Amino acid sequence: MSLRSTDRRWGSVAKFFHWTTALLIIGNGIFGLLMDLADTPMQKIGWLALHKSIGLTVLALFLLRLLWRMGDRRPAEDPAPRWQQLAAHTVHGVLYLLILALPLSGWWFNSIAGKPLQFFKMFNLPALVAANHDQRHVAHGVHEYLFWFLVLVLVLHVAGALKHHLVDRDNTLLRMLPFRRLRNDTPTQGER
Amino acid sequence: MTSLKFAATLLLALAIPGVAGATDYAMQPAGSKLGFASTFQGQSFNGSFGKWTAAISYDASKLATSKFDVEVDLASVKTGDSDRDGALPGADFFNVAKFPKAHFVTTGFRQNGAQVIADGNLTLRGVTKPVSLDVTFKPQGTGATLDVSGSVKRLDFGVGGGEYADTSVIGADVKVNAHLVLTAK
Repeated sequence: MSLRSTDRRWGSVAKFFHWTTALLIIGNGIFGLLMDLADTPMQKIGWLALHKSIGLTVLALFLLRLLWRMGDRRPAEDPAPRWQQLAAHTVHGVLYLLILALPLSGWWFNSIAGKPLQFFKMFNLPALVAANHDQRHVAHGVHEYLFWFLVLVLVLHVAGALKHHLVDRDNTLLRMLPFRRLRNDTPTQGER
Repeated sequence: MTSLKFAATLLLALAIPGVAGATDYAMQPAGSKLGFASTFQGQSFNGSFGKWTAAISYDASKLATSKFDVEVDLASVKTGDSDRDGALPGADFFNVAKFPKAHFVTTGFRQNGAQVIADGNLTLRGVTKPVSLDVTFKPQGTGATLDVSGSVKRLDFGVGGGEYADTSVIGADVKVNAHLVLTAK
């Protein structure tokens, strides 16, 4: 398995970005929804600090992923009707926007609320805007509904991948999975 | 000179400055401020108390008879954050229901180079501990301005104990600073 992507499958760096982001953003989203279950104010402060740090990690991974993607090739697309390719690209584009929008809206919400933003107790990041108590609930709503929107788009993304895998029985999902051989796997040039 | 006579003379000498004591001042709430600063999650924040009183007797040349006596209404705390302002008067922090006021009274003054230092006792949340403050006193006409600054360890007084004792989240040191506008009584 190579670090770089090939004509037939994603490289391990692309896979790492894909699955780490998926795990962190879904996990952190659910974690965020459960904040009110904290037993004590201090526990909630600790949970929120962790939630913010994970969100910043997602943001950092996203920026690194964009950089990597600029220099990485992409596997050729499996044959599909034009509308399906268009739908897949749209869903990918919106997902990218949401991966960026979720941490940024959290950062913005945190700034509106006038709270500190600390990355795993290591260093602090500045506020994006001045604190404004009146906009606190609106900012919270924006951050939360963006997550629900992401869940919706994610359902489409996963449904598409499963359709390719189970109905079309092609390599669309397999080429993004780690430690899996492709169907009809004949190594092409550039892949070992 | 017998030792008894020497002792009596010494006592008299010490008592003389007390006869003409330091000047008594009244604190003017307008222009005066009692503030503090600490950190939360790596970010510093400032707070202040809206209600407090100060009885000041001071003369730089009569430090032995100078005295500060300050009482602070802890429920009047403001830090610019509604969550924090809601939490500070509670049982985990100042516990104003049981200890509504903090009290600082000097026990003596000393000179450290050019700097005058006020030693005193701070009673906060039912705990009394020594606290020292740097004093900057500037006479102005019949009045004066007085600036003091110092540092207290919040856990010495049990402010934010228990689960709030984690100083990696809430800073251990609280810097105290006050600016007093004084008029002579």
